[in-house]
Amino acid sequence: MEIRSGDELAFRQVYDKVFPVVMKVAYHVTYNQDVAEDICQDAFIRFYDKDMSFPSMDDAKFWLIRVVKNLSINHVKRKMRESASLEKVMKGPQVNPFKDGASELILKESTAVVRKAVSELPEIYKTVIVLREYAGLNYKEIAEVLKISESNVKVRVHRARKELEATLDREEVDVP
Amino acid sequence: MCLDDQILNTYLDNELTEPWKDQVEEHLGYCQSCRIRYQKLLKISDAVKSSELTDAEIQPHKDRVLSMIEKNYLANGKGKKSFLRRTFRLSASQMIGVAAAFVVVFVGSWAVIGNRSSSGSSIILEDGTTTIGMDKITLTRYSDNSSTSKSLDEYTLDEIIKHLDARGYDVNISVKSIQPLLLDRFETGVTEIARIEKDDITITSDGLAKDAGGTIVASGVKLVDNAIVASDGTVLWTADETTVMESN
Repeated sequence: MEIRSGDELAFRQVYDKVFPVVMKVAYHVTYNQDVAEDICQDAFIRFYDKDMSFPSMDDAKFWLIRVVKNLSINHVKRKMRESASLEKVMKGPQVNPFKDGASELILKESTAVVRKAVSELPEIYKTVIVLREYAGLNYKEIAEVLKISESNVKVRVHRARKELEATLDREEVDVP
Repeated sequence: MCLDDQILNTYLDNELTEPWKDQVEEHLGYCQSCRIRYQKLLKISDAVKSSELTDAEIQPHKDRVLSMIEKNYLANGKGKKSFLRRTFRLSASQMIGVAAAFVVVFVGSWAVIGNRSSSGSSIILEDGTTTIGMDKITLTRYSDNSSTSKSLDEYTLDEIIKHLDARGYDVNISVKSIQPLLLDRFETGVTEIARIEKDDITITSDGLAKDAGGTIVASGVKLVDNAIVASDGTVLWTADETTVMESN
């Protein structure tokens, strides 16, 4: 089924199906819901505005995931640079974004620890884990989105889980 | 021989094909240490999955973004975006970029020849985007995403002049050795917004990326989060490769 991104009906169908996926991708890369919402909004506006043609719903989904992934990584890099500069000035204690305010009441301790562990993964490992575990893509689809080989995806998933295991063991999180 | 973590992870993700899948299952059936290791990896994967953003957390964001897009882009459900929105996408900078490869464009009140809007058909797609390579122009139409590439030489000078004239520009012909974009900077207030040191590329505020010789290598680019991003969202140069000018 061909998808025209500038066609309102097609746009609504894609939005309904793909928004939860890209929101998860944006959130689990940035770990900030407001930022993730802005990124998804930006991506869907571009999607509609460009009025592109996709051979299938999956192709449209992969395009959106790729754009959201890029925007999210750029945001994280910028924040890291900013916080590095700020740290030099403030030299104050770092705030843990996973244990602040209302979210602490909502999140289970183990969820917060796991999210933190994912957020601390190097970018290339975090991306494959987010696409595999949260966006539900298989290795072939991840390879297509990231423009890398499937065997590379396999290696990255393996290394990402190894790093996660080390972090979670250190935190002694009670994994279910 | 026991199974390594990479094979177990591949099996866990249901990415192992036959006959390897059968062999792994058979091995797990009798090897306790591999089974324990597999269960540990499964627990890590499950722990990560169970920490995902929930549907209840996603729904308010989904509603809010859709509401904003409906209000500003879907014209309250009435359908297509307006003519103004579509034409605005073809920025003046993109068009000047094409012209600058051959001619110097002066937009001013002096030497007015007049606006002969009826002349000639457009050589640049109204409803599209233009990518300028080293020796060719690629036109991509938004409506059907179709692309055509033409060498600059395939456009006659007459076609280019007619096109610019139809758009109300006064055109002066110059020789290639003159650097028209430098003049544009003074004329239009175009400023340098970033540099890519490794490729010796300059990014200007009119969305052009130019190499050391002033040749345009990309157009329609933007500075997003200190990275240089193409109009389709592709990151051309990462933030680490980009030096942003202080004024930005």
